[in-house]
Formats: sequence, structure tokens, C-alpha cells
Amino acid sequence: MSINLDQALQTFIVEAHELLQVMEQSLLQLETEPADQDAIGAIFRAAHTIKGSAGLFGLNPVVSFTHIVEDVLDRLRDGSVAVDSRLIAVLLKCGDHMLELINVVASRGEPLQPAALEREAALREALSTYQAPHHTPDTGAQHTEAGAADRANAPAEVLWHISLRFGVDVFRNGMDPLSFLRYLETLGQITQVTTLTDSIPALDSWDPESCYLGFEIELRSTASHATLNEVFDFVRDDCDVHIDAIDEASDSAVSIGSELVAQAEQGPLTASVQRLPAASEPKTRDGNYVRVNADKLDELINLVGELVIASAGASLLARSCNNDPLQEATSTVSGLVEEILDGALHLRMIPIGDTFNRFRRVVRDISQELGKDIELTISGAETELDKTVVEKIGDPLMHLLRNAMDHGIESADARRAAGKAGKGHLSLNAYHDSGSIVIEIADDGNGLNRERILEKAQERGLVASGAVLSDQEIYNLIFEPGFSTAEAVTNLSGRGVGMDVVKRNITLLRGTVDLDSRPGQGTVVRIRLPLTLAIINGFLVGIDTSTYVIPLDMVQECIELDEHQRQSSREKGYLDLRGEVLPLVDLREHFSHEGSAGRRQNVVVVRYAEHKAGLVVDDLLGEFQTVIKPLGKLFGALRGISGSTILGSGAVALILDVPALLNQIVQLEARTPQAPYSPTVVAR
Amino acid sequence: MAKNVLVVDDSSSVRQVVGIALKSAGYDVIEACDGKDALGKLTGQKVHLIISDVNMPNMDGITFVKEVKKLASYKFTPIIMLTTESQESKKAEGQAAGAKAWVVKPFQPAQMLAAVSKLILP
Repeated sequence: MSINLDQALQTFIVEAHELLQVMEQSLLQLETEPADQDAIGAIFRAAHTIKGSAGLFGLNPVVSFTHIVEDVLDRLRDGSVAVDSRLIAVLLKCGDHMLELINVVASRGEPLQPAALEREAALREALSTYQAPHHTPDTGAQHTEAGAADRANAPAEVLWHISLRFGVDVFRNGMDPLSFLRYLETLGQITQVTTLTDSIPALDSWDPESCYLGFEIELRSTASHATLNEVFDFVRDDCDVHIDAIDEASDSAVSIGSELVAQAEQGPLTASVQRLPAASEPKTRDGNYVRVNADKLDELINLVGELVIASAGASLLARSCNNDPLQEATSTVSGLVEEILDGALHLRMIPIGDTFNRFRRVVRDISQELGKDIELTISGAETELDKTVVEKIGDPLMHLLRNAMDHGIESADARRAAGKAGKGHLSLNAYHDSGSIVIEIADDGNGLNRERILEKAQERGLVASGAVLSDQEIYNLIFEPGFSTAEAVTNLSGRGVGMDVVKRNITLLRGTVDLDSRPGQGTVVRIRLPLTLAIINGFLVGIDTSTYVIPLDMVQECIELDEHQRQSSREKGYLDLRGEVLPLVDLREHFSHEGSAGRRQNVVVVRYAEHKAGLVVDDLLGEFQTVIKPLGKLFGALRGISGSTILGSGAVALILDVPALLNQIVQLEARTPQAPYSPTVVAR
Repeated sequence: MAKNVLVVDDSSSVRQVVGIALKSAGYDVIEACDGKDALGKLTGQKVHLIISDVNMPNMDGITFVKEVKKLASYKFTPIIMLTTESQESKKAEGQAAGAKAWVVKPFQPAQMLAAVSKLILP
């Protein structure tokens, strides 16, 4: 039989990754609470399930290694092996190796590299000390079908005589005698069946739930005696079976298997079996979930995006027709489309918790490596984010965590000298904040060295000397490209990757990062990310005949510029907004539009994180649900533009990258030597 | 109408493999991820055969089988236990509870089909 299991194999790979993560979490849990039976149960189940499923796909390297791990875990479960830190360390490494096995053997279908095989040998060695003394190595995969082999060796057709006497309980055990006869038919040709009704009792003592039947069967088949015997495995307790070959020539039955096969093999029922604790673990994998290929989801969202555009086009047309019923109909459609869009986007959202939990291991390993005692607290794990964002945020988070542990948190001695607890604390937190998601990484270490950062920045020409900067602005300088993190600022040197890379990765996700630090008390890094990458609520503005989109969540207000204000603001480059200095960016000038400005101009006040500025445009065109189309490779280097979209009319509009736009202007100002650094961008 | 087979296993890949095999032979397949989930799926529809793993969270296979045997409408329903060769004692316990049939993991889809077809027709 050929059954295509490719898809199931993909499920297995995903599932194995999840299980290994559960295993790791539980091992870490066990490290803090060695008596936690639930954790032990969960670890055992993870290994057990991986082994079982890997066998289905014939992944023998996975099965054979996992078998040993399972063996040790079984002994851990029944108490013959005690939990200690060495065992946990070995088991964590086993988890890593299983992951590698699954990645290499299952995903890519390749054999392991020699280096990995060496690691495996070392792990097997380490595990062997925990195994039972008379352990018989068992690959767990060697029981191939004995029946199949038999069939191959016995091609000759034989006439078999089968005597069957079913026990009274056979129905109650869920067995139907008839189905066994039907199954026999698949093995050969039944030439004769005689039903024996001798044991049917008198009507008054007849129990309709009991079976009183027997059969004498003649079967012509190429199957072997063992194969036929196997057919009755499930009714062995409830049935007497005799299987004999009939020598057709002499017509006398030669008894091959005359012994009663009943009760032949059952193991002792008294064997003590330890029950798994019915774990109260959260329902991580529920039967109600459907696994969907992420590509299919993307395709769906893309289509829904097109639908949004098409529906906007229809609405526009309807309005121009001046037909009320038509307008009503299109507005109903738009409403529904918007709901579909929300629903579709929600499909891509996954909780950040899995990513967070992965860091427990990282923190444990690094803190051991550094000889520091550091505890990680996680909150907001249920916060949901776009799948792509969750996948891509891992690396920057890792880098920030490493930095915090390596350079933020001091050694235990230094901490005690500063009057703090010897144990350092790290926390990861995620929460919603006005249309975006914020991830906070906080440590209670020594904080940043404000003076050294400023000194360094001036040395590198990032800041004009004599400039007055707020603490916030100084701390954020460490994210600047070219800000060497190597020697000078000892408490924030990275591992070859600068903080600017962290920032760049986050910016690519349309997010921002900023940082807050208190000397002696610690540092908080805040990453602000958009809820989704596919669609934004946009605000349309016009310059000449072109249309631009400003993300709506950044728009604060709109102001009309009168002739007088235009004059003065053009000279000064800023506007007096109710007593506040609002720097202006003239988009017409910025994007080099030709022609002169119209008679009326408007200012769109945008805010991003701490910064505020005014964008000078010609027309305000209102809100628009914007499906983001990425710019082609050719335009990848363009700054100030983050993508494009198609309007209902079919025209293309560029989406403004407000953070980059603001940043660009800040840098321009800071690098102009004549002008002493005046904060172009005003803190709120 | 095709017969319903309830597949109870916490591993979705096992459920998927069993499901593919059974559907190819004309059975209808209902999936459940643990004993508790499975008990819920027994009501409201007729299940003709149950295939259950032993080691599962929330409610393990042995407890599940004992619960099934208490249900009047599933008195005569065959149950197949999924065991591993290292779990002989589990097999015995399962049989004592009322699951007389078993398939040893890891199995080929064909082995599973053979076991099922000994018990019910599609």
C-alpha cells in the first residue's frame, strides 16, 4: 500500500519542535523544583511521543537515540534515578541533540555529520550511567512485520483448516466474530464455513449479550501458519483456535499447530504500573486547532487586501453615480470586507510566549557561563503578534538579553557591595499600547554610563561638542551606527554585533527601540512593534498630483497654514504650536516636487514614540485602509518611504516612513557644523 | 454510511498518519487529543471503533478505556490500544480494562489497517 505521508511528516516535525520545547521548559522547571511529578511526566511524554511518531516515519536515528533518553526518563519517573543538576544538564543536551536529529534527519533527510555523531556518542555514554544495569539495547524499530516475511517465504498455496470456538465474553470485549471471518477472506479464499450452534443454551438461560458460536473453516491461502495465528491475536483470551494444514493428497489433516494457542503469551497482569499523573498542564495542543500552511494564510491575506482595494474602488464609483441604493450596498460590502480583513489578519497572530520561554534556557546557560546568578521573569506571554514579527524578533531580543546579562547585571560581589541582592533579575514583558505592541527587557544592573556615552559620541562626531542633550537622547545614541561599542563603553560592548544591528532589525519590522537607564538601578529597553505588517490605517495627503500615505496611528492633528504663518515658518523651519516648538518638514521640498505650492497648505502633526514634527502638504484627503505592497529591490535603499499601495482609483501612493523621515532630519541637523545642535525633534 | 473511527492520541502526527490510512480504506475518522477530549466526542455521534494511545495528558488511555466501558452505548465497541514494545505491562492493563486489541508503535499504516479490519468493516 502506498500512502503519502509527506504532509504528516511536516506535522511531525512541527510537533517534535513543540514537544522539545515543552521538554526543555519542564527540565528547567524540574531544576528549580526537583520533586515536580507533573514536570517529569511531561518530559517523559514528550520523549515518548517523539519516539513513537518518529517510528511511524521510519526515522531510525531519532528512534534509537530517543529510546535511550526515554529509558532514563522512565527510571526518573519511577524513582530509581534521582534528579540532580548533572542529569538535567545531560537531558537538556539530549533535547538539543534530538532537535538536531529532527532538523537533519527528518527535515532534510540527510545523515548526521560526524561531529554530531560524536556528540551523540558522548551523550549515550553519559546516559548509560543512569540506565538500568541489565539494559538490553533496543532500537525500538526492529520489529518489522514478521508476517510479511513469512508470507514471502511461503508462496505455495495451502488448504488450511481452522477450528474456532468463541468465548461467551467476546461481544462484550468489542469483538465481532464475523469480522474475523471477513478478515480471513483478505488472506485467501474461504472454501467452506460450518457454524457450530451446539453450545447455544435453552432460551430461558440464553444471554443475548453472550456469544455461543463456533466455526469450522476451510481456507485456501498462501499465508503461513504464523500469519493466520496472528489474525486471532485480539481474541486470544476469548477463543480457542486450532489451525491445521490439510494435506490434500492424502486428505488427512497434519497437525502443525495443534497446541491451544489460547492464553499463550499474556504477561502477568499483576505487574505494577505507575500511572502518569493526570497533569494539570495548560492545554497547549488542543484537538480544535487546524494546522495551516503559513503560505496559504499569506495568500489569503493578500487576496483580502486586493478585495479591500477593489471594494474601495467600487465605493468610489458608487459615490460618483449618485445612486443611493448602490452606495448603501457598497458600504455594506465595505463593512463586511473590513471584518473579513480583521479576521484574516487575526489568523496570523500568535502569542509571543513561545519565543519568551525559549530564553529561559538561554538565560540559564549564559548565567552559568558568566558565573552570575540571574533570574528571568516573564510576563505578558499571551500577547499576540504577527507571526513574521514573532519569528524575526528572536535575534534582537537575544542580543539585548545577552548584553543585559553580560554587561548590565554585575557580579554577585559587586551587587552586594552596592547594597543589592546577590541574585540579578531580568524581566521580559509584552503588552499592548495604543495600536502597537511593546516588549520590555529590564535588568536591575548597574545602568548605562551617561558621561562615557556622550564622550564617545562627541569623539565620533555623532553629536556636536557643547550640545545639550537629555539623558534619554544620550542613551539612545548607543543605537547609532558607527557608535563603537568595543572598548570605550565597557558596560555595553556587544559580541561583535553592535546595537545598531539590533535597531536595524527592529526598524525593518517597522518598529522602534528606545532605552531608559538609571545609574545603579538598571536599564529598560523598550521595543515598539506594529500589530501587523500587512495593512495599516492610512491618512492620505496630496502634494501636487501625487498622493502619499501617512500611517494614521502616528497622526496627531492637522492644522491649516495661513499665508503669514507660511512665510515665517519657512524661514525658521518650525511652527509655534500652542506654545510648543514644532519642527516642520516640507514634503514638497523633501521629495523635490516641481512647481510651486498651492494657495492653501496644511500641516499634519505626526508623533512617533517621543518625537513630534509637522509635515507640510498641499491637501488632506482623509483616511484610507492601506494594504502595504513592499517596494521592489530597486527602491530598497530609498529612505523615508516604506512601501506603496494602490488606491481605489487605481493610482499608486507611496507610504511615508515617518520614523526614518524624522531620524534623517535629526541627523542632518546634528552633522551641520555651523548650527549647534538644537534639538530638531522635541521631546513630548 | 462509512463507519466512524475515533483516534485518540496527543501526537497530531500519529493522528494524521492513522487518519490518512483509515480514510484511504473508506473509514471516517474523528480525532481527539486526550482521554477527556475523546469522551466528549463519544456523545452525539456513533463511534464504531476506538483507537487510543496510552500516555496522554489530562486523561491517560487506561482511564479512558475504563470510562468508555462504563457507557451503556459503547458496551460492544472494539478498542485498539497503541502501545510500545517497552510497555508490556500497559498492554496487560489495557486488556484488563477492556481494550482487547492493540497495535505496537511504531507501526506501518498497513499494520494499523490490518488491525482495524479484523474488528470492523468500513
